[in-house]
This record gives sequence, C-alpha cells and structure tokens, in this order.
Amino acid sequence: MSLHYQLSAIQAKNVSPSRSKQESTGWGDMARWFGETVCSIFHKIQGFEFREAEEIRLRVGQPLMLRTSDKDLFLNREGQTTSPDKAYCITMADLTAALEKMTQSSVYAVEEDLRQGFLTLPGGNRVGVTGEAILQKGKLLKLKHISSLNIRLARDIQGRGLRILPKLCRKDGFIYHTLVISPPRAGKTTLLRDLIRLISNGVPQLGLEGKNVGVIDERGELAGMNQGAASYNLGYRTDVLDGCPKAYGLSMLIRSMAPQVIVMDELGHLDEVEALKDALRTGVRILCTAHASSLEEAKTRPTLAQLLEEGVFERLVVLNRQTGPGTIEGVYDLKTGRNL
Amino acid sequence: MIVFGCIALIAGCGSMGLWLAQRVRRRPEELRGFLIALTLLETEIVWGATPLPEAFCVLKERTSPPWQDFFSALQLRLERGDSAGKAWNEETSLQRSRFCLKEEDWRVIRDIGKGLGRSDSQEQQKQLQLVLRQLSMLKDQVGLWSEKQAKMWSYLGFLCGVAGVLILI
Repeated sequence: MSLHYQLSAIQAKNVSPSRSKQESTGWGDMARWFGETVCSIFHKIQGFEFREAEEIRLRVGQPLMLRTSDKDLFLNREGQTTSPDKAYCITMADLTAALEKMTQSSVYAVEEDLRQGFLTLPGGNRVGVTGEAILQKGKLLKLKHISSLNIRLARDIQGRGLRILPKLCRKDGFIYHTLVISPPRAGKTTLLRDLIRLISNGVPQLGLEGKNVGVIDERGELAGMNQGAASYNLGYRTDVLDGCPKAYGLSMLIRSMAPQVIVMDELGHLDEVEALKDALRTGVRILCTAHASSLEEAKTRPTLAQLLEEGVFERLVVLNRQTGPGTIEGVYDLKTGRNL
Repeated sequence: MIVFGCIALIAGCGSMGLWLAQRVRRRPEELRGFLIALTLLETEIVWGATPLPEAFCVLKERTSPPWQDFFSALQLRLERGDSAGKAWNEETSLQRSRFCLKEEDWRVIRDIGKGLGRSDSQEQQKQLQLVLRQLSMLKDQVGLWSEKQAKMWSYLGFLCGVAGVLILI
C-alpha cells in the first residue's frame, strides 16, 4: 500500500496546466521531509535555485550533498556551499528523522518498496535507500541500518516530447511500439511523462488524435499519485494504475480500461517481458523505458535482448546527458537501423 | 435550618463519594476501550499496511471519548510532520487528566510510542501483542478491584456526611 501524504512537493519548470501547484515548491517545501538540522539548512539556502538541483544525497558520516546537472555541491550549517571537509556531516539521527518524516512514521507501510530499495514522495520524487541487507533463504527480507538516502527530484519539463513524437507515429496517428533507453539520470521518465500527455490529448498539427493511454506507474514516479489524484498533468485520456507491478498491470489495464497505448517505466524483469509479449497480441501500442546507454548495451541485457531480437519494438529513442538531462541522442527505426 | 444543613452535608459528601466511585468504575472501561483500539490498530498495521495517520483516523471513528480525542490529536500531529513516538508521548502527557487511568496503566500505554511505526509489520505486531497482553492482565486485575473500590467510595461518601452531621450536632 502506498503512503498517503497530506502535502506534496513537486518541482516545476516550464509547466502550463499544473504550473501554479508546482511553483509553490522550493527548498522550504523540500525541507519538510528532513529532521530539524537538515531542515534548517534547507531553509537557509540562498543564491542557489531549487530547480537547478537534481539530487539530494544524505550519507551517514559524509557531508550533505546536492547534485546539479554538472557539479556536486556541499552545504554547511548556514546553507552555504562549501568544501566537503567544512560541510555539515550527516548523522544517523538525521537519516532516521528523514525516514520517519518520509514514511509518516509508518515504515511498515513501505516495507515492500524498501525491499526494492526506494520509496516515492509526492510529486514522483523518488528516494533511493541503501543499508544492511537481511537475507532469509537467499531472498532479501529487509534493509536495516539504513545508511544512505538519495532524493531524486522529479521534474515536469514539457516540450521535448513534441520534438520526437512525429518520429514515433505515422501520419494516420498509428503509434509505433517504442523503447526509450538511457543511463540513469538522463531524463527517461520526464520525456515519457511528456509523451503520455501529448498522446493522450492529441496533437492536431501532427494529425494525432487523442488516445486512451493506460499508465502502469509501479514506482509512482510518472504520475506522482496522491490519494487518487495525479500530481502531474498526464492528459485527458490517461488512466493510471498506481503502485501495481507491471506484469499484473498490463492484463488488468487491457481487461478493464480498453487502452490504445500502454506506457510503463523501467522495464527490467523477465515476467514483465512475458506479460508485454502477451499484451502485444491484444493490439495495444507499447511505450516503455529501460536502462541502457546504447542499442548494443540494451542487447546485452537478457530482458531487452529477447524483445529486441524478436523485433517487438519498432522505434528506439536513446537519451544521454551531453547537453544536460533529456538530450536526445537519436531516434532509431529498429527495422532499418536508421537514425531518423 | 439545622435539618437542611444536615441534609446538604450528607448529600454533598455522598455526591463526592459517588463521583469518586464513578471515576473508579471508568478505569476498566477506558482500559477496555483502549484494548479494542489497539486491536484495531494492529489489524490496520498488519493486514492493511495502513500508514499511521490514516490508521489513527480509523481509530478516531471507531472509538468513543476520551480515546476518540486522543487518536484525533495523534492523527493531526502526524499529518503536521511530528514523529509517532514524539506525538504519542506528548499526547499521553497532555490528555492524561481527561482519563481515569492510573500511573501503572500509563506506563504500559506510553511504551507503545517507543517503537510505533519504526519497524516492519511483523515487529510492530509483536510489540502491540506484548502491550495487549500486559493491558489485558491489568484490566482483569482492575475489574474486581474497581467494583470493590467503587462500592467503598459510594458508601464512604454518605457515611462521611453522616459522621460530619453527628460531630456537628
């Protein structure tokens, strides 16, 4: 069961429909997820825009760190950037307080998420977690002595999808089965969110009519659902299955919501591949992402290799961070191998 | 006039005795109410994986005063961002005067706050089960004791009134 939060923290950049909601966020809003000391540091930050930050890193015994697209910043108690040795050193108490706030003192409610190494905050901000793994009969039972948190700040950047959408659909509005790949932090989820909204609302200038889009948001990042309401605008015709494993979600959506396009983030397990292949026989179009920096690398991943060899995907979008997150390296026609 | 004074003295002392007796009788009732609430909380945590603010909202709706107000306050504090342990400890201190429970009861109740929500559901269940067992034992002991005490205070109040009258006369 996902947690229900009263307040959401969403970050905005060039957003239109949900702009007012997202503009209210910033360091002050993000600070609420931390204990007293770290909270006060975030309240004191000056001269450094919230939207520039991509990650907040808390590691026990290590300096408080922020990551931007091109550099790492260390913060002291006054919220000023400084050298690592003068920065505020994170304690176990800081981490415990942050976890308590992020889980609303309900660690048991995110047991399953923690087992997978993450939990999701409102707005789709994902918190990566590491600690000591406790195994039972070879299976991960739980994480204890949590030692690091990585808060990845979600963004809603609109417009990038429109640049590549003409390459992902025919003139009659037929959407190709598409796979978006990139290394972590290169903007897959952000691009996917933009594509969902465009396909759902339709793009008249491309002759693309709005389509029913089913989103399987297993990790709660795409829609940032909060008590049944999406934090991001995913379009008029989008149904979101929140927190559901992709393998189950595919058949559930097809049976119940009659989607024309199904969207999933981070394909990675063999059972998901099987479910996807089954879904392809129902006539829905598939749009999904996976971790890999190139087609060659994707082919070495067992889950993706199978799909690529069988020619399931017709289009491949490769992203990188050469000019910042979301840089489109190429859109490939997988039948011909041509960069479109 | 003297007769009226005597009646007023007996009635006053008697009422005081009845009030104390009623407070003594409320203790096992409050313990029973808390045991029910704790069982519900266990169900919400173990079977529903319900986050604490939401679980307290369920308890608020399914318990009667004064526990209703106690859980309502906890829900609000958690939604404001307080930790469960801090909220539990502070609310037990703040709302103590509204209950008829004794220090030995509060000692067990306060213990819940120490680990509430800070571990997986199995661990939470173990902790809650332990408290449930301790409170059940307390309730059984208190049941017999409170009936005797309540009767004693009821009689003692009126008897004190009569004694006072006799001394004054």
